[in-house]
Amino acid sequence: MSEAGVLSSTTGAAQAAPVVAICKAVKRFGGLTVLDDCSLTAQEGEILTLLGPSGCGKTTLLRCIAGFLTPDSGEILIDGRDTIPVPVNRRSVGVVFQSYALFPHLSVAKNVAYGLRMRATPAAEIATRVKAALATVSLTGFEERYPSQLSGGQQQRVAIARVLVLEPRVLLLDEPFNALDAKLRGTMQMEMRHLIKRLGITAVFVTHDQEEALTMSDRIAVMRAGRIEQLGTPEEIFDRPQSAYVADFVGASNFWEGVAHAGRVALPDGQSVATALDGPVRVMLRPHNLVLRAVGGEAAAWDGTIRFRRHIGALMEYEIEVAGGRMLRAVALRDDTIAALAGGDRVSLGVRDAAACVAFPPA
Amino acid sequence: MNSKPLHIRLFDEVFSGTGIWPAVPAIIVLTVVAVIPFGVLLSLGFSDIVVSRGVIVSQELSLRHLATALADPLYHTTFQRSITLALTTTFFCTLLGFPVAYLFLIGGPWVRRIILVLTIAPILTSGIVRTYAWIVILGGRGVVNGVLMDLGLISAPLRIINTPWAVVIGMVQIHLPIMILPLIAVMSRHDRRLDEASANLGASRLGTLRHVILPLSVPGLGTGASLVFTLSYTTFVVPQLLGGGNYLNAATMIYEQVVYSLEWSKGAVTAMILMATCLIVLALFAWMTHLATGWTRVAQR
Ligand SMILES: Nc1ncnc2c1ncn2[C@@H]1O[C@H](COP(=O)(O)OP(=O)(O)OP(=O)(O)O)[C@@H](O)[C@H]1O
Ligand SMILES: [Mg+2]
Repeated sequence: MSEAGVLSSTTGAAQAAPVVAICKAVKRFGGLTVLDDCSLTAQEGEILTLLGPSGCGKTTLLRCIAGFLTPDSGEILIDGRDTIPVPVNRRSVGVVFQSYALFPHLSVAKNVAYGLRMRATPAAEIATRVKAALATVSLTGFEERYPSQLSGGQQQRVAIARVLVLEPRVLLLDEPFNALDAKLRGTMQMEMRHLIKRLGITAVFVTHDQEEALTMSDRIAVMRAGRIEQLGTPEEIFDRPQSAYVADFVGASNFWEGVAHAGRVALPDGQSVATALDGPVRVMLRPHNLVLRAVGGEAAAWDGTIRFRRHIGALMEYEIEVAGGRMLRAVALRDDTIAALAGGDRVSLGVRDAAACVAFPPA
Repeated sequence: MNSKPLHIRLFDEVFSGTGIWPAVPAIIVLTVVAVIPFGVLLSLGFSDIVVSRGVIVSQELSLRHLATALADPLYHTTFQRSITLALTTTFFCTLLGFPVAYLFLIGGPWVRRIILVLTIAPILTSGIVRTYAWIVILGGRGVVNGVLMDLGLISAPLRIINTPWAVVIGMVQIHLPIMILPLIAVMSRHDRRLDEASANLGASRLGTLRHVILPLSVPGLGTGASLVFTLSYTTFVVPQLLGGGNYLNAATMIYEQVVYSLEWSKGAVTAMILMATCLIVLALFAWMTHLATGWTRVAQR
């Protein structure tokens, strides 16, 4: 994505100087280009998420910001100052590692005190600040435990307290919830977001889980092969993806091939989608934007057969085979009419809101 | 009920690989090479014997040899010298071995390979050969003196060989690999993300070394120090060859008592004292290791 794209999507926050600015960072490992002209800014107090599939360079970018890696070219600015020459231990950047990396030979209190000790802080001040940090993450009373005596969630909170006690300018989190079970993960995501917001800290957060990104972030940077594909708020990313890649990666999408004519693509049910493109296009249809109806009712976009259905909590997901062997995915609330539908049933599909569809150039 | 015949059941039991059975061969070997000789040693040390033509003809219980040995000033100085030598060797092996292990930790794959080869290769060479090499290097007309004289730093050869320092140099070189190997074992298991976390929290390289790597290496240090101490406390080759024959340590003393003066009981007592003092020092090392690794024994959740 272009430089202009990065800037345009930061409108609103763009007046303030960014806390973190990455300009055209390039990092190669041998012949492999892992970061490719990667540019990004994080504003004061925002939670910015790097979202992308495995191997797209999220961790590499984070490690460059932390100083564990040096980019081959490009700039990394923190508060407007070039940080590349600054050694790791002098950057005001706190990292929460995926594995937590707690010191196994130190108690919880000593883990949290570690950074203060390295800065030769007076003992009395260390004691009060450690106490406050542990209270922030609700771990009061765990001071004398060792990391091996804590649950995964508690270990993670120690890792956070250990970094927060130093009041860093930027907090970096690399898939911090990966090791937690699904339920705890949900709770921790909310807790973490509240905590970061309460402290007003600027955070760059890495995940390959799109739901997590949508839950946690103020803005999301979708990465693809070492580049930022799109940077925007969760709403922008979800509702107005700028490429089929983003549309597909965030909130699984159906793509329907159509033809654009005079700024519009006609859908089979008579509605139409606005587009700047002309000629063959692919139209993004979100699964929740498709409605299931009984066959032969109102004007349907497609008729098809339910091939597969899956419970997702209060929702039901269907895979529906339409003419030409194409599969479309639809999601609906599990109300009475829908619950009766089963594999093999014939249904017709309609588009709920054509304005929520986006057309992309053909693949 | 098990209806198999007894010999089949016995066979199953022995070869099932459970219980005490897998340890049986080791127990037999240990009994033959360690327990029985130790019994003989004890019986010799605590008795008066009369030897005729290499055969013990009479033996009766007595604490005479032990009492004499404990009161003998020669024993005091010899054991003092032995312990000092062994502790000095252990100290220098730790001092030189830890940086090598640290290099192994931070080095790339090639550095690691080179360190491993350089550590293991000397072990494959006999200690006696290596000690003779030191005679060539440290001798009056040896390499060190040659270079120093060529550089004009000294006018006459230094007396290095046949001094206690020559013994220490030889001892450290011989035992260094024994120190490095357990340290490398610890280092290769070390989680480098802890070092990154430490740096991220503001520690310098030295701070990380001091507060993270060193405490986590204590088990390796303990093992290495114990091995080096035991080996250097009980060796007689190096002191004999590099100390010029007049460097008496406990092991050389036993050698002389048994081989030259044929005082078996005296030799046995010396050996027992050697073993007992060695165990005391090892217990001390173990205690220090224990103190520094308390975190490994906290109740797991
Ligand atoms: N030190 C390294 N040496 C060589 N290649 C590396 C190194 N670190 C990362 N890579 C490569 O760079 C690419 C990106 O790695 P990175 O860890 O940044 O991915 P990621 O986006 O964090 O993926 P994941 O979601 O799986 O953690 C991968 O192809 C990886 O193999
Ligand atoms: Mg990663």
